[in-house]
Amino acid sequence: MEPTPKYLTRNFGNPAALTYDGYVAGGGYAALKKALGMAPQAVIDLVKAGNLRGRGGAGFPAGVKWGFLAKGDGPKYLCVNADEGEPGTVKDGPLMEQDPHQMLEGIAIACYALGIHQSYIYIRGEFHKAIRIVEAAVEEAYAKGVFGPSMSGSGFALDVAVHPGAGAYICGEETGLLSSLEGKKGMPKLKPPFPAVKGLYDRPTIVNNVETLACVPHILNLGAEAWNALGTEKNGGTKLYNVCGHVLRPGYHELRHDVTLRQLIYDVCGGMKPGRTLKAVVPGGSSSPILLPSEIDVRMDFDSLAKAGSMLGSAAVIVMDDRTSIVRALDNLLHFYSHESCGQCTPCREGTHWLYEISQRIVDGRGRPGDLDRMLDICTNMVGNTICVLADAAALPTQSYIQKFRGEFEDYIRAGERRGLLGGIEGKAVAHA
Amino acid sequence: MSPITPELKARFEKIVARYPKGQEQSAVIPLLHALQESGGGHLTTEHQQAVADFLGVPMSKVHEVTTFYTMFSLKPRGRHHISVCRTLPCALCGCGDVAKAVRERLGVGPGEVTADGMFSYEEVECLAQCHLGPVFQIGDTVYGDLTADKAKAVIDGLAKQGGR
Repeated sequence: MEPTPKYLTRNFGNPAALTYDGYVAGGGYAALKKALGMAPQAVIDLVKAGNLRGRGGAGFPAGVKWGFLAKGDGPKYLCVNADEGEPGTVKDGPLMEQDPHQMLEGIAIACYALGIHQSYIYIRGEFHKAIRIVEAAVEEAYAKGVFGPSMSGSGFALDVAVHPGAGAYICGEETGLLSSLEGKKGMPKLKPPFPAVKGLYDRPTIVNNVETLACVPHILNLGAEAWNALGTEKNGGTKLYNVCGHVLRPGYHELRHDVTLRQLIYDVCGGMKPGRTLKAVVPGGSSSPILLPSEIDVRMDFDSLAKAGSMLGSAAVIVMDDRTSIVRALDNLLHFYSHESCGQCTPCREGTHWLYEISQRIVDGRGRPGDLDRMLDICTNMVGNTICVLADAAALPTQSYIQKFRGEFEDYIRAGERRGLLGGIEGKAVAHA
Repeated sequence: MSPITPELKARFEKIVARYPKGQEQSAVIPLLHALQESGGGHLTTEHQQAVADFLGVPMSKVHEVTTFYTMFSLKPRGRHHISVCRTLPCALCGCGDVAKAVRERLGVGPGEVTADGMFSYEEVECLAQCHLGPVFQIGDTVYGDLTADKAKAVIDGLAKQGGR
């Protein structure tokens, strides 16, 4: 594998980059200067041409999203989604902790391009370190005149504030995030109207992921063509991938979009632990359908994984070896989704709990014939029937785990045996039951 | 006596100023965080009422936020609150053993506090440190690549230090 040039992670491991001066010494804020010399629409067009796909999980083209922002007078907002919490995902935390000014520069460029004068960075509450570092960087950016009444001397006013979350997966959904930012329960809202028309405080709002914004300065610096050349068709640039689970060397890596899942596991992360073989892998965070060892020669971009029946999502790869109980792995995730459902839509509130209850009785050795079809039936009634996609995020893995490992589930039900301790994270419940 | 000390009041005002006029409710979560930190690790009815009064929003709006988000606690927690991640990536790497070791070392279960008030224990969903699994978080610090022995050693170290 050819080594990937580093952009998003070029300052990682360099504590000097946490300061304004250190960031500038590495070429930082040059992209902002460049953007300020361009017409706002030209900046939007450049990001569009760079095929920057939203890094939060949906992969929607960021430049197109920017183009949806309602025109007109009155306040508009940029809200940064730093509520990282999709199981398996580790990228926004490191991006904020190791290079906060990179994100801030992206915010400044985006706000200039969109004519936005107020941005909120919604950081997951448990990220104490990231909150501390980003708050310090924001303060320094004000002191250096990047933010404030005249952004870098341009006369363009920009205020930026950090807003902490308080522990709720659902706030990673963009309208749930906005509800939370308004001081309410993090309950998603029906779309349309989309936030770009009616978002924070009912005003036009763009919600972008941390990594999406961190990419923006590099598109300005490199130009759309060079940025696109780093990725695959319609998937511009480099990408942060995290690999966890049963690989030899778990960790996050900045790579080109054309890396395959096999390369990620075997070349980048050292392969499986000694004596173990690959059983299954989740390519894009816990909400993405599971893949078999025969399906890992797939490029890690949004379109290739969609074609393979899964999704790139948050590029969080969860690797499971031959000792893993797929039944217990799914049970663990169903606990997660039933716990994190905000409760406002019946198909999700009831569906996630029913799925978890049935899964519990299967794990518990009390599974009944017909339970698997019952679970699939519940999934059918969840997908597409709710305000946000949390219900789908629970149903899609459930469907794929049962479809691809049906025999293992049936064995559980038939045997009705008690293997290891039960429920929650008791004993070695999930991994090596 | 109001739980909002003059020092907290100054901090509150700074936080509220981040949001547009008329949107003071936005400050509910940051204010509750500030009160919970300074108020011994949990939120009382008085705390919530004080936030409601300060922001001019109904108490019910504050209470529904307090109970919706997992980081807010209505019950006292230990000086060191231990959150063990239970979600799949950590589970694949053996968080069950870690959780069991912590529970045995402390003699408490989820949601409970040790008799000396030093530790409380909780099992939480994904902490987004999956490459380091199994992990737990104590206060601001995340401990990764845990084993049962490592987990116990961390707790022993904190117990020896005593206070915060």
